[in-house]
Amino acid sequence: MLARLAENLFWAGRYTERAEDTARMVDVTYHTQLESPYGEVALAWQQLLDVLHLRSAYGAPIEPVNVMRFLVLDPDNPGSVTASIARARENARSVRELISSEMWEAVNRLHLVLGDRDLEAELTEQPYELFRVVRRLSMTIYGVASETMPRDEGWRFMALGRLLERAEMTCRLIDVRYAQLEAMSGPSQRLAGDTAEVARGPDRTDFHHWIAVLKSASAFEAYRRRYRASMDPADVVEFLLLERDLPRSVLYCLDGARHQLDALRDGRPSRAARQLGRTTASLEFRDVGELFDVGLQPFLEDVQEQIAVTAEQIADEFFHHQPGGALHAIATG
Amino acid sequence: MSGLLAGYTTDGFFDEVVDADGAIRPHYRALIDRLRGFTPEELERRERVRDALFRTAGITFTVYGDDAGVERTFPMDLLPRVIPAGEWRHVEAGVIQRVTALNRFLEDLYVGEQAAVRDGVVPRWLVHTASGFRREAFGVAVPHAARCLVSGVDLVRDEDGHYVVLEDNLRNPSGISYVLENRAAMTRVLPRAFSEQRVRPVDHYGPMLLRALQEVSPPSAGEHPTAVVLTPGVFNAAYFEHVFLARQMGIELVEGRDLVVEDHVVHMRTTQGLKRVDVIYRRIDDDFLDPVVFRPDSALGVPGLLSAARAGNVTIANAVGNGVADDKAVYAFVPDLIRFYLGEEPILPNVQTYLLWDDEQRAEVLDRLHELVVKPVAESGGYGMLIGPHATEAEVAAMARQVQDDPRGFIAQEVVGLSRHPTLVGDHLGGRHVDLRPFAITGETVEVVPGGLTRVALRKGSLVVNSSQGGGSKDTWVLEEEVDRC
Amino acid sequence: MRLDIRYLTRFLYAQPVSESQNELRACPANDHRQAVVHYHVTTEPASRVAAYHDYWGTRVDTFGVRQLHDRLEVVATATVETQEPVRPVAAVPRQRLGDSRFHDTHLEFLQPSAHVRWSHPVGATARRIADGVGDDVVALAQAVHDHVAADFAYQQGVTQVGVSVDEVHASGGGVCQDFAHLTIALLRELAVPARYVSGYLFTVDDATGADSHRDEVEVETHAWVEAAVPGWGWFAVDPTNAQHVGERHVTIGRGRDYGDVAPLRGVFVGDRRHELEVSVSMRRLALAPLGDQAAGRGAQQQ
Repeated sequence: MLARLAENLFWAGRYTERAEDTARMVDVTYHTQLESPYGEVALAWQQLLDVLHLRSAYGAPIEPVNVMRFLVLDPDNPGSVTASIARARENARSVRELISSEMWEAVNRLHLVLGDRDLEAELTEQPYELFRVVRRLSMTIYGVASETMPRDEGWRFMALGRLLERAEMTCRLIDVRYAQLEAMSGPSQRLAGDTAEVARGPDRTDFHHWIAVLKSASAFEAYRRRYRASMDPADVVEFLLLERDLPRSVLYCLDGARHQLDALRDGRPSRAARQLGRTTASLEFRDVGELFDVGLQPFLEDVQEQIAVTAEQIADEFFHHQPGGALHAIATG
Repeated sequence: MSGLLAGYTTDGFFDEVVDADGAIRPHYRALIDRLRGFTPEELERRERVRDALFRTAGITFTVYGDDAGVERTFPMDLLPRVIPAGEWRHVEAGVIQRVTALNRFLEDLYVGEQAAVRDGVVPRWLVHTASGFRREAFGVAVPHAARCLVSGVDLVRDEDGHYVVLEDNLRNPSGISYVLENRAAMTRVLPRAFSEQRVRPVDHYGPMLLRALQEVSPPSAGEHPTAVVLTPGVFNAAYFEHVFLARQMGIELVEGRDLVVEDHVVHMRTTQGLKRVDVIYRRIDDDFLDPVVFRPDSALGVPGLLSAARAGNVTIANAVGNGVADDKAVYAFVPDLIRFYLGEEPILPNVQTYLLWDDEQRAEVLDRLHELVVKPVAESGGYGMLIGPHATEAEVAAMARQVQDDPRGFIAQEVVGLSRHPTLVGDHLGGRHVDLRPFAITGETVEVVPGGLTRVALRKGSLVVNSSQGGGSKDTWVLEEEVDRC
Repeated sequence: MRLDIRYLTRFLYAQPVSESQNELRACPANDHRQAVVHYHVTTEPASRVAAYHDYWGTRVDTFGVRQLHDRLEVVATATVETQEPVRPVAAVPRQRLGDSRFHDTHLEFLQPSAHVRWSHPVGATARRIADGVGDDVVALAQAVHDHVAADFAYQQGVTQVGVSVDEVHASGGGVCQDFAHLTIALLRELAVPARYVSGYLFTVDDATGADSHRDEVEVETHAWVEAAVPGWGWFAVDPTNAQHVGERHVTIGRGRDYGDVAPLRGVFVGDRRHELEVSVSMRRLALAPLGDQAAGRGAQQQ
């Protein structure tokens, strides 16, 4: 298939996922901070900008409503929810012939629904409904795509984009929560390694924060079935990172991506597939307790870095990227 | 006449359906009888079916101008145009003759000895000043001299019902997708009308076009040449058609950035690496095709494409530089070109055309501007045209100035009465002017798809049928020869 | 005169670029005055070079470099033999310019073209020049040449594509390309078909076109003009150097203006910034009389 179309499908997958996950993260940050003191609130939003690598793009003083506006509806922020949706739609439009009509309609509907709403007012007054709509309609896109599209090359590139993006975003979700909790409770407590006793207590102050994280990954119910009532941060992190059967866990996503990549490379040697294999292996046998000792954040950053490298290698291998740049004309006298 | 045709008048025009005595022409009788049986509600229901079909198919075109980028549908009238077999034989022969001569002329001009110019059939200076003349394409040969791979010859019928040629459209004629979609819709909307008549099919257009593309592929392409459709992209007015054609032929729809030239061979970038391309059915204008030789700022084209074509490694269809023959002043010489290259009398005449650099002709035209049609030589699609009888004094005066400033830039033609065809207007039929664009395909030979696109001027009295100017269309039925009758 | 010519163009890009596609017009023409003995083009990075002759009869070498590269070097080497042209002797009445057949075949060189468009001041200059000339097309062309050569100053510098004829006319100076375009405009204004010639000139000084006492010179590509004389042919003059075209002039190609014969034209993808180096070295081979005296006289005679 044409490299350009494969790439557009890949990005259609990534941008839809990015829109949904950004909405999830804004949602969880907003709702967990409602009852917190102002200083903590500002810090939480700043940390969210940090993990999304958007702090310098935002540039202004941290004002929660403004950060939220920036992350949700700022057209100049390419990572904002609405901008991601617009770009997902642009990419989907260019491959209109390769995706099902149902999927196209679902993408289009999300775009149009957001266009019809007064987002500004909703963000200030009551953003819950908005986040719910984004989440539901995004999931509709995957739902109809999954039910209506053949598992051909095009599908695989789209799935690959979606899975890599999701793996990265789940890392960030853990990252931002962990950073916030660390800041709240003081670094010593978190890094001391004495997690078992502190963490398992039912009256923990950060209990509801971890529930929120799980909920934002649609993983709370699954977690409860697995771990019952206990709410150990190490368990939560392990669940979100390494649970093979959880569709939003990092390992699940990377495994899925590797599966797609193997089918796409069709027996040919692939640096991207090797890279992805290494990343997956480094996750699989990881002891989360140990991670808490050595520092979770560097590890999460590293995983994200490796995902980024994989994406670059995919672009090299399948999209045949030439270094960017415009076409220039020359003429000598 | 009762029902549908109650109160229908031909107003002195040649009518496709009703003859001068008010009788239904024989080849329309079955169809009109069937439609007479419909109640107004039934007609309305069928129109709704049609609308739903077109909406679902997403058949739109983009109109350039004030509301840049507005997508509209090109409405299809419920009443098809019917062409009897004998009449079609005449049209078909005329189109084939014309396209054959034009292929010869263009091949001779770009890679031959320029006999028509040398012998003064077409003035050399006229060719040299035609904006579609592409010196850059000089020496680029096309297998079988199939320069006009697809042409869309615009025909109209005059007051006496004679077919005459308005334009040849040898560059990138569009509209074939409407022909196919109209037919697909008609078979659903009026299925039984088909079973009563033997209508020649049109749905082999895709395979026909693909075969022609393969026939013109360069010898170096081997047994299974790879053809692609090259589009300027999603923002082009005819993008829908580009998608449609690629799908009909089962080949890739590519943009310029998908193609790359290496060692004078064109490749497309696929996920599996570079794949050689042998034939390009391009829907990009000459000027944007290759920034090395044409507009250097064009990001739509493929750098090095012309060098690949020149090296005989790829065929560009339609050929580069066909626009010279689309120049409306050069058009005036096509009957002479037919005589010169084929030694035949033209089967289909031109409309009487006046060349305005000639002092006498210009003087006469300026005197009679209000009764003539004036067209810029390099435009198509009805842009920049003056229809004298419908123009205001100011418009006539403005055109007179333009003609005096640039006599080479315009031609004038007698107004053709354009035949009319009953067209559904509300709950009754009204006479509306129509034209006909048959599509001819040149591969090893020239073939014409039966029928073509009938465009209809939906506004009462209007002579402008262009989709960009408020026109609609009709499915066009060419009837089979009635061989088993005798 | 037998000459070895080495044409070199080198692009040094600030960042690696790719997808470079180019056309080179550097090969001496084969015509009544010149014969090419040898011609060869190489590029670095290496590429497959394909040659053709364009609409104007000029040899074009096309090549592309797709992979990333940070420099592109094009070298064309030629050996050519040239002769002094024959010059028109009899007067040709200007009325013959209006002959319809002559007009028809020369229309391309009579109309304004992409780089040769002019407005009233240029037209007025043309008519002033014509006023003082007798009824002879050759004398008229000569007068136009003399006027441009005398009234306009050669300005050393980088050749800038895109300076209009009107600007050159107003500023009073330019490089060879500008001299040629202005001369063409003046001639066309007077209904004399005129074409642009791209080529090489064996000279020690681009400003004067003076011959060299040495046998090897470093020059730039040069441009001059040919005017059509009814019933005779093309009359070539070099307004930059105030001389007739002679055996030290090596023609590459002809066209309506610079745009038809630009030596190197192309596109690439990447960062626009680059350094460009063009050099032409010419070596006179030992076929013509040597020595200062002979060479000096040769120049005088022109």
